[in-house]
Amino acid sequence: MERYTNNEITKIEKDNKSSLILTTPFLIWITFFFLIPYLIVIFYSVLTPGVYDIKFIFSLESWKAAFSSSYLDSITHSLVMSLLTTIITILIGFPVAYVIANSSKRKQNLFIVLIIIPFWTNFIIRIFSWKIFLSAQGLLNNALIYFGLIDEPLMLLRTNGAVLLVMVYVYLPYMILPIYSVLEKFNYSLLEASMDLGANEIRSFFKITLPLSMEGIFAGSILVFIPALGTYIIPQLVGHQSSAFIGQLITFKVKSIPRNWPLASALSFILLLLVAVILFTGYNYYKQGLRRK
Amino acid sequence: MEDLRLVNVTKKFDNFIAVDSIDLEIKQGEFFSFLGPSGCGKTTLLRMIAGFEIPTEGNIFIGDTDISKLPPYKRPVNTIFQNYSLFPHISIYDNIAFGLKVKKVHKSEIKDRVQQMLKLVKMEAHKSKFPNQLSGGQKQRIAIARALINEPKVLLLDEPLAALDLKLRQHMLIELMNIHDAVGITFLYVTHDQSEALNIADRLAIMNKGSFAQVGMPDDVYERPETIFAAYFIGDTNLIEGRVVEIHDEFATVVCHTDSEHEIEIDTTYHRQPVLDEVITLSLRPEKIAISRRPPKRKDDFNILQGVIEDILYGGTHTQYIVKVGAHFLRVFQQHKKVYIDELSLDWEEHVYLYWHDTDTHIIFETDKNKVNSENIMKTIRRK
Repeated sequence: MERYTNNEITKIEKDNKSSLILTTPFLIWITFFFLIPYLIVIFYSVLTPGVYDIKFIFSLESWKAAFSSSYLDSITHSLVMSLLTTIITILIGFPVAYVIANSSKRKQNLFIVLIIIPFWTNFIIRIFSWKIFLSAQGLLNNALIYFGLIDEPLMLLRTNGAVLLVMVYVYLPYMILPIYSVLEKFNYSLLEASMDLGANEIRSFFKITLPLSMEGIFAGSILVFIPALGTYIIPQLVGHQSSAFIGQLITFKVKSIPRNWPLASALSFILLLLVAVILFTGYNYYKQGLRRK
Repeated sequence: MEDLRLVNVTKKFDNFIAVDSIDLEIKQGEFFSFLGPSGCGKTTLLRMIAGFEIPTEGNIFIGDTDISKLPPYKRPVNTIFQNYSLFPHISIYDNIAFGLKVKKVHKSEIKDRVQQMLKLVKMEAHKSKFPNQLSGGQKQRIAIARALINEPKVLLLDEPLAALDLKLRQHMLIELMNIHDAVGITFLYVTHDQSEALNIADRLAIMNKGSFAQVGMPDDVYERPETIFAAYFIGDTNLIEGRVVEIHDEFATVVCHTDSEHEIEIDTTYHRQPVLDEVITLSLRPEKIAISRRPPKRKDDFNILQGVIEDILYGGTHTQYIVKVGAHFLRVFQQHKKVYIDELSLDWEEHVYLYWHDTDTHIIFETDKNKVNSENIMKTIRRK
């Protein structure tokens, strides 16, 4: 039971007032740059497309089109690729975070800096360097030919594998950092307690370390999965046209003539709903975990 | 018998010797305590028995089995950690059941034994809670239950009460003793708190710089310290260096002088006969000394000194007087009993008699080279 004195209650009320003042700019930001734009998106999705612009005539055609098999395939493809990216980043990110969290404080800082340094280079330039690296005359193919492992260049670029590789590369830090922040605070005497009670290293890991790092894995998964789901530039640069992400199709509908703003809007809104559902489910799961604290 | 035996156990960290060739035998069912200041190696010793550290040299036996190289999960011992280390993500029930689940014990048996443990530590009502919903004392109980359910040969307790407040600590101490009596398992209790160790242990070892300063029963160690460190670490004491001048059948006379002008003569009983002219240290507990304006009516077997009160410190259960005798400063504790009412108004710079029974003086065959005692007394005197 928490009990407050009168003084504390006035203080809390004051805190509430000041927190309202402090959140106002954020609310204004959300309203003008998120809420209103999305209302416009919804509004556009029920209009009729023109060749260049939009006709203000009510129509549900774009919603029908959005649920046709070609778009659903693209959505499924995006979901599968993002899920794979998330799983691979967990599998690589967890051991990396574990090693970092268990090194000396000095080395920890060094590793964190090493992870952050690539962010200083422009995102698109980094993807372009992968494109050059993987291309038919690229460093990788030339090296493989030079060492006699292959006779002619492999088709590395424009494959789903290339997309996955670059997505994992780009999003890996977003997985490592939250897991690291959990493991860094991890109470290792719990592992000693577990071993003391008869569990060997492997069992102790699965019964203690892993469940207690779920918070970090969960946060990392959201940070990786959601941007991966909507990614546009990576599949555009290193992927194949036949397996387009939903983000690419949305861009295509807006870019090419005749333009189709309503369909692009409907698809965007479906993407938003998907993300919202995933976040909400995740948040509920997360809250269940929090109750134990 | 499943006695715990330590043979020449040594632990070195780089060049630092944390535990220095310890030999010890603890009987099955004994309540044993390692007592020492922080950094004395007591926790390292405990961790070697638990299996978290491997000894650099020496062996640890339980019964006839050498466990010194086994990993913690293969040892028949369990630990109560200082911060309890309860698993925060599982319920109290699952915390206690952890060890049995790992050993794949049948579900219905787990249920019975957890219930039994909850009853032993009086926590039946809390089994579906999570650790962070419990108070410190409750967490402590769960930690005990979680360890004892595995029926270890030895239970290791690493300063288990350090995080609790005084009243709760006293209460848990009694509880621990009751649990020990109920289960009959060897308890090995590490603490830096001397009163805990004196209260609870059948035997205790005082540790200093990686080795034992003394091993014995609490009253033995307190009344008959063998080393200056043991005398000084447990309780308060006056250490007086002197030369043995007379040896009788039951007592010896020791002359102590601090400078050329002052010389005091003290009679003492002994447990081991000293040699004539040997330089020894006398240990005299402050609570054994009576303080009064008048000399005692009875004089035989009493040491009687005269001195001046230099300082008075009120301490609740007793008042501490620092009395200057010759060039010596002696610490004296006086309890506030009504029978001493006429002595309650003793004042600064008053001339007083100090007296105590010969048997309350104790010989330590060692000299205080670092002068710890006199320096510490000097520090407690306030500057006027």
